[in-house]
Amino acid sequence: MTLLLVAMTKAFLLPVLVFVWIATISVLHGFMNLGWTARGSSDGASLVQIGFLPVTCHLTCPVTDFIRRETRGSGLFQPIKFNSWPELKEAFLARKTQATFLLAPMAIALREQGVPIKIVYLGHRDGTAVVVHRESSIRNFSDLRGKTIAVPNRFSNQRLLIFRALRDAGVPISEVNLVEMPPPDMPAALSVKAVDAICSGEPFMGQAELDGYGRVLALTKDMWPGFISCVLAVHEDLIQEQRPLVQEMVDGIAASGLWIDKSADNREQAADFVAKNYYHQNPRLLAYVLSKPADRVTYSSLNLVRENFREIEELGKLSGILSGKASFDDYTDTSFNPKPDSIKAPDFVYDK
Amino acid sequence: MTSDGAVLSPRLNTKLGGLRWASTARPVVALILFGVAWEAGIRWSGTTLLPSPYAVAAAIVELIQQGVLAKYIVASLFRTTWGFGLALLVGLPLGLFLGWFRPAAEALNPVIQILRPISPIAWIPLAILWFGITDAAPIFLIFLASVFPITVSTSAAVHGIPRIYLRAAQNFGVSGWRLWTRVIFPACLPQIITSLRIALGVAWLVVVAAEMIAVNSGLGYLIIDARNAGKRYDLVVAGMLMIGFIGLILDTLIRRLEHLPMVQWGLQNR
Repeated sequence: MTLLLVAMTKAFLLPVLVFVWIATISVLHGFMNLGWTARGSSDGASLVQIGFLPVTCHLTCPVTDFIRRETRGSGLFQPIKFNSWPELKEAFLARKTQATFLLAPMAIALREQGVPIKIVYLGHRDGTAVVVHRESSIRNFSDLRGKTIAVPNRFSNQRLLIFRALRDAGVPISEVNLVEMPPPDMPAALSVKAVDAICSGEPFMGQAELDGYGRVLALTKDMWPGFISCVLAVHEDLIQEQRPLVQEMVDGIAASGLWIDKSADNREQAADFVAKNYYHQNPRLLAYVLSKPADRVTYSSLNLVRENFREIEELGKLSGILSGKASFDDYTDTSFNPKPDSIKAPDFVYDK
Repeated sequence: MTSDGAVLSPRLNTKLGGLRWASTARPVVALILFGVAWEAGIRWSGTTLLPSPYAVAAAIVELIQQGVLAKYIVASLFRTTWGFGLALLVGLPLGLFLGWFRPAAEALNPVIQILRPISPIAWIPLAILWFGITDAAPIFLIFLASVFPITVSTSAAVHGIPRIYLRAAQNFGVSGWRLWTRVIFPACLPQIITSLRIALGVAWLVVVAAEMIAVNSGLGYLIIDARNAGKRYDLVVAGMLMIGFIGLILDTLIRRLEHLPMVQWGLQNR
């Protein structure tokens, strides 16, 4: 009898162990990472999901979310952090996110390719820099002749920015080597001089500067004032089905944009809570790019303006990423632009 | 080895003890040398970007203090468990079937051989389209990485069973279900265990790639998130080392399967 018991225990030990392991690891994962607690788990599931990347071009997304959750106790949407452009775009195309912060030329190109999306608002203005190595002899854009320049993506407005700057400096684009590189990798690539110049949204350019090996060649505010890198794009059916929600999102972004731009103190607060709760970056780095100088990146005039996009379209055609098939009226919906003076910055003070 | 120890002379026994001590000391010495070389490399190159071993140790302590290290390990092990588990559930029966029923193997072989060399990274867009931004997407990628090694070597194992086993079984009137459970499966087990070991290694290997999708936990996510965090290569290397250590533990555990009596039978009768 005992022998039989021992034999049975031995035979079943492995399957039992396997079962116990699967159950334990699944339950642990549920509680530790998926928020399987008595309350709060249903909050995220029913909300519209908005994709964003941890860059200052998307700052209004976490700021809107944070202020709303702090003041009203619940979110308007569920921000979903991605780590790179392709995954963010694919989740949006697959409708896993219904709205997303997206590169403006990429949104236009998707529309040209027949994807039913609309740009409903801007995410920011400026906030991009061109940075070269401290020891390099590059002093202006004509010095970039024969050099290697890193840009985030072929559909990034940063690439168009380089096209524009080189055109103005009289350097044919064929005389530089443009490479695509994820912005987080850019500072390290510049520090080891794998590339001669890097160009992306913040805070990665500020990082190269803070770490001591980067020198700003130009900030967008001086090269292309009012520069737009990223926009808020939504699927058309979200507009049809949940128009008030889209309006509320746009109003929320407009309001938090005004809040960020209201004072240096607000910028510091934003840097702190966004870095800690959303971006997982050093708050000092975010505070640096939001303050040195204060208009390095701005969030106040985010209405869609036809003229801004005309230049993007032109450069997009010049650089071969846009065909001109989609017009401003196709790829934008300006009806969400808040009326002048209708939006006020919220009274919000972040208590560290 | 242990049962033989009793009959050995005392002198030889001491020598064996010395050997055992040496066999633990050697890897420790190698690890220390590796650490010293690492530190020396950092100092010699004067880099400010790459972390020293000390900075990485500090980063691991920081992750423990924040309470995220345990969370991330659980998340990665969860995804690997399910990805690998599903690969086992699919790959093992499929491999047995293909090994036994050759026409099916001939038909499916090209498909398997075409799918097998595709890196899980290439599957990321499809994983997002099919499974969105949930845990199912990384689990799918881990499944893909481990299902082919299991299928292919199980099939080869069944195909390679010595004919004499089957004839002997036939002579004893063993057939049907009993033939599978008593002869074919045990005879294939050593090779299957080896393939499981390889497949588990691959499954754990792709955890970084799999967690590139918008998940917000896991050791792979830790590495990708640290890249977004500016100059935090201490966290990147900390994530790499944790993946390495846990990989070592997983491999040690799965190697214990080789000592099961059932597996030993198959090994002895090679």
